[in-house]
Amino acid sequence: MCDIIWCKKCNTVNYLDPYYFWNWEGKVQCAECRTVYYIHMIQGFMYAGPEEKPGEAPDILPLYADKPLDGYTNYLPGTEGRTRPFQCQPREIYLGKPDMVKFSIRGRPVRGWAPQPPSTGFLGSFGFAWDVEKLSPEVWQEYQEKKKRGEVKDW
Amino acid sequence: MKDLRECCLEELPGPKSQADLEDAKIPYEEYCRRLFAPGREFEKPESLKGIRWLSCTMYIFTPHSVANLAELGAEVIKIEVPRMGEPMRHTSPFNEVYLYPMHDSRPMTGTGFGYMNANTNKYNITLDYHRPEAQEILYRLVKMSDGLTECYRPGTFDRWRQSYRYLQEINPRFIYVWGGGFGYGPKVFGASYDILGQAHAGLASITGFHEDFGGHPTKHTNWVIDWYSGTLITVAILAALNWRRKYGLGTMIEFSQVQACTRAMGYTVPLYHRFGVVRQRWGNWDTQLCVHGIILCGKSDYPDEVNPQLKYDARYVMVSAFNDPDFQELCAVIGRKDLWEKYKSHKQRLAPEAQIEIYRALEQWAADKSRSEVVKILTDAGILAMPVRNDKEVYECEHFRQRGTIRWMEDPTFGDVLVQGAYSAGLMSETPRRVKWVWRTLGADNLKIYHELLGYPLSKLKEWSEKGII
Repeated sequence: MCDIIWCKKCNTVNYLDPYYFWNWEGKVQCAECRTVYYIHMIQGFMYAGPEEKPGEAPDILPLYADKPLDGYTNYLPGTEGRTRPFQCQPREIYLGKPDMVKFSIRGRPVRGWAPQPPSTGFLGSFGFAWDVEKLSPEVWQEYQEKKKRGEVKDW
Repeated sequence: MKDLRECCLEELPGPKSQADLEDAKIPYEEYCRRLFAPGREFEKPESLKGIRWLSCTMYIFTPHSVANLAELGAEVIKIEVPRMGEPMRHTSPFNEVYLYPMHDSRPMTGTGFGYMNANTNKYNITLDYHRPEAQEILYRLVKMSDGLTECYRPGTFDRWRQSYRYLQEINPRFIYVWGGGFGYGPKVFGASYDILGQAHAGLASITGFHEDFGGHPTKHTNWVIDWYSGTLITVAILAALNWRRKYGLGTMIEFSQVQACTRAMGYTVPLYHRFGVVRQRWGNWDTQLCVHGIILCGKSDYPDEVNPQLKYDARYVMVSAFNDPDFQELCAVIGRKDLWEKYKSHKQRLAPEAQIEIYRALEQWAADKSRSEVVKILTDAGILAMPVRNDKEVYECEHFRQRGTIRWMEDPTFGDVLVQGAYSAGLMSETPRRVKWVWRTLGADNLKIYHELLGYPLSKLKEWSEKGII
């Protein structure tokens, strides 16, 4: 499944990679005629748009675009100025805003951020104990502050 | 000969001391709380301790069949392809990873939550079966294991000389499981996914609303048939273990997912062979019982939330009032006594026209009420009603918390995680299931298994690692 913006001006189908656009609000530029469209997606559902925004700068380019009524001529991913490259990266990294979860919803530390410090094990072996204080002192520090503020709960 | 009039107190059933006697008087609720004691599973023994199982599995279906064993105490060794790991680590949700790291060689790669519950308590090693050196390693593991589960295309392990007929030569007590799509037969090379199983076995055709009501054949959002088929494999494994205990011989279990799915069809298939009737979808209503379905209320329980799942979807209620007194009461509550006069017998209520009228009347009555108002009014009237909950509400459910169905645990590698899989699979007083860890990183136990268990020197391991064998 992939969401699209079908530009009616030039009959071009602009494909949006669904994982980036699962919860997303911003402007996408048509690969062919460069019309800028505003869209707002919530949980993969096109909540608002596509709506033309003439004269505004796009936030992102489509991944791929083709013209089904014109022999499927297309713009492959990474065509400069028209489509963006496929980098197979999570959304947060793509947008340059790392959003690593450090704490669970009840406020206790989870090992969920990258890059991780390398394991001390042989050939990638991992021990069974994760010492947050030693491996991630800054998370440990943040955890202590959370505890003081009473943000660490049982549920 | 023993005099039958003589008996030893210890041999008699019932309390043996004053304390026992007092214990026997406690209410059943208290008795159960003490017996199952959520959170104290680790004080009790494990039923499958001593069983060692190899898991050459991917995704949910076959890994889950083995995770069941691991939760019950078996030592399970999961074998994955070096560097990449099995695809489920990278599959869902949204192809994103949440728990880092996966392996030292890929510090920016982690594992997605989809991997959870199907890989509990397993030891993770890596091995590339394609390499000739791998065969000896696998054979040595087979010699000291009780069984193996694999999910490759039928005949693949046979081509690699590691199918049942080869492995039973090495270990005649070996239990071998193949789990996959179709199995031998005309569709032998058909692979399977959960959705394919639901479609091929006809389950999707009877799920969802009829097209007349705007419905379509529907798959379940979660991969239920994967979880279900995996559990059925576990049942087969336990039976095979019991057979082996008696006769000392192994078994091959050949488990087709689409075949298992037909079992979940209930009376659908016999209905056809007896009457030629092709069963229809009936969505949130029931063909056997009325009222016994899910209705839509007018107002959300969370009108101010941003999340559409809460704002719009928290409006459904399950209602059950199919026997005559309940239905009469329901009609009185919603102010439609005429419906009771019209449909006094259950048979009358089951007719499609009647169901359409009754459910429409219910939803009209609920149109100006919120979900919780509807549940309260119906429950107060003695009618079974339950909100259709989302995962937020399941998390907040006191019933689940007290029984330990969902609980927080400190995973030794990943920290604070919420677990629900093992503890939702039934309570056992003597040998309860338990989660020791949610999963291990890729190849985390290479050292433990290859060096400590099989005794290969570290230099050999290093050589294999450089060649990409492990």
